[in-house]
Amino acid sequence: MLVPELVPAYTVSLFLPALYAGLITGFIGLLAISFQKNDLSALILTDIVGLAMLVIVASVGTDLAEALILPGLVVELAEIMAISEILMSREMRKTGKTAPLLPFPFTADMEIMTTAANFIAVILVVYGVFLSGFTGGAIAGGGIIFYVISRKSRGLPIKIWEGIAGISGIAWAIWLAGFLIFFVAPDYWLLGLFMSAFGILLKVASKMGLIGVMAREEFKRE
Amino acid sequence: MDIATLGGQILGQIPLGDIVLYLTPFNLFMFAGALIFTTLIAISRTETQIEAEFGSLKDKKVKVDLEEFKIRRFLAIVCGLATAGAMITGDLFNFTLFVALIGIVNIGIVSAVKQVDVLNAAYQYGLVAMIASMPLFAGAALILGATGTLSLFQLSQTVTTPMMYFASLLLLMGIIGETGVAPFYATKAEMFRTPGSPFILIIHLSSLLIIIRAIEILLIINKPF
Repeated sequence: MLVPELVPAYTVSLFLPALYAGLITGFIGLLAISFQKNDLSALILTDIVGLAMLVIVASVGTDLAEALILPGLVVELAEIMAISEILMSREMRKTGKTAPLLPFPFTADMEIMTTAANFIAVILVVYGVFLSGFTGGAIAGGGIIFYVISRKSRGLPIKIWEGIAGISGIAWAIWLAGFLIFFVAPDYWLLGLFMSAFGILLKVASKMGLIGVMAREEFKRE
Repeated sequence: MDIATLGGQILGQIPLGDIVLYLTPFNLFMFAGALIFTTLIAISRTETQIEAEFGSLKDKKVKVDLEEFKIRRFLAIVCGLATAGAMITGDLFNFTLFVALIGIVNIGIVSAVKQVDVLNAAYQYGLVAMIASMPLFAGAALILGATGTLSLFQLSQTVTTPMMYFASLLLLMGIIGETGVAPFYATKAEMFRTPGSPFILIIHLSSLLIIIRAIEILLIINKPF
């Protein structure tokens, strides 16, 4: 038997219902696309089909299946972003107008932005470094974004963030090298683990910081 | 079917943890072919199209500007490398990811063009590719669920169950949709009309090579003979 003994029989019996649920969801999504043929609805409904894919992959439930879910999710996101970009550029080309990245005004008139900004940002970054890995990167990046937003809302200049994309790229290379060590020289797994953990920490943190830099032009716009 | 029967003598294998690459003359030939074509694309320049105008005797010159050229060359190289990777990989998981990557990059290559018709076609192809990623990943996941492995080496030695036939069918549907061959070709035909010929050709070449490799993989998994 493929499934090990310690997995409860109830968990194993969930496989087929989950599989059918995924297939039915995908079928409903395709049916909906055949009814709603206008471009935007088709794009949104296609996402339902993508969710059905995630359900089916998740129904297998092993660590390899988990490794399939993450790229599956990324592929879905990348495709929906690429297709919506195509849709936008087509509409822009038809009408002759252009649209900015964040088309709505953003104001952050909150007390926390002026009083506790440094404190919260430092706590988030330190906690993120302590956690390391993807989660830590997200938390530290959140701290950096919060710092950028609060400086912007106080009207202070932000100049230290140029070139942060380079850090992100190098950190990504460290992350990949760490993974390569896992495969090529499994004896040095600790080195590989730490390289990939801190590589992804730097990458995600700087990436989220980068989002703050990119969006800073959009803040305070009325 | 046996790996050696399909691809010729097994020249060796590269074990990277649980990912085991195997080298046969068939795989190596297709890998080298994809790499050579990618190199040719990386060093070439785009064509310039002359379009006849409707209702008059004038011609119109369609050029690709530098920024668009750079983006398109980068994406074409990524597409070529993904094709080469899909040729050499010995793992169904990696093959699935390479096919999905080719699907995205194909949309990207034509997304920067200015013609509305081509953007329309790219949009339709994108929808098909996105829908096709569902059977693609579901097929790989079901093969994993039925056998417990995604390594082609081990899959060639397992007994085929009905679940694996179903999964192979899903996998084939996914690959056909992502690469945009026969039933979905209408969505891709318009994309080839974009100026910038060598980069457009990689879309075509990648789908051809992927289909050949997919047939080999499906024969390895299903063992019909």
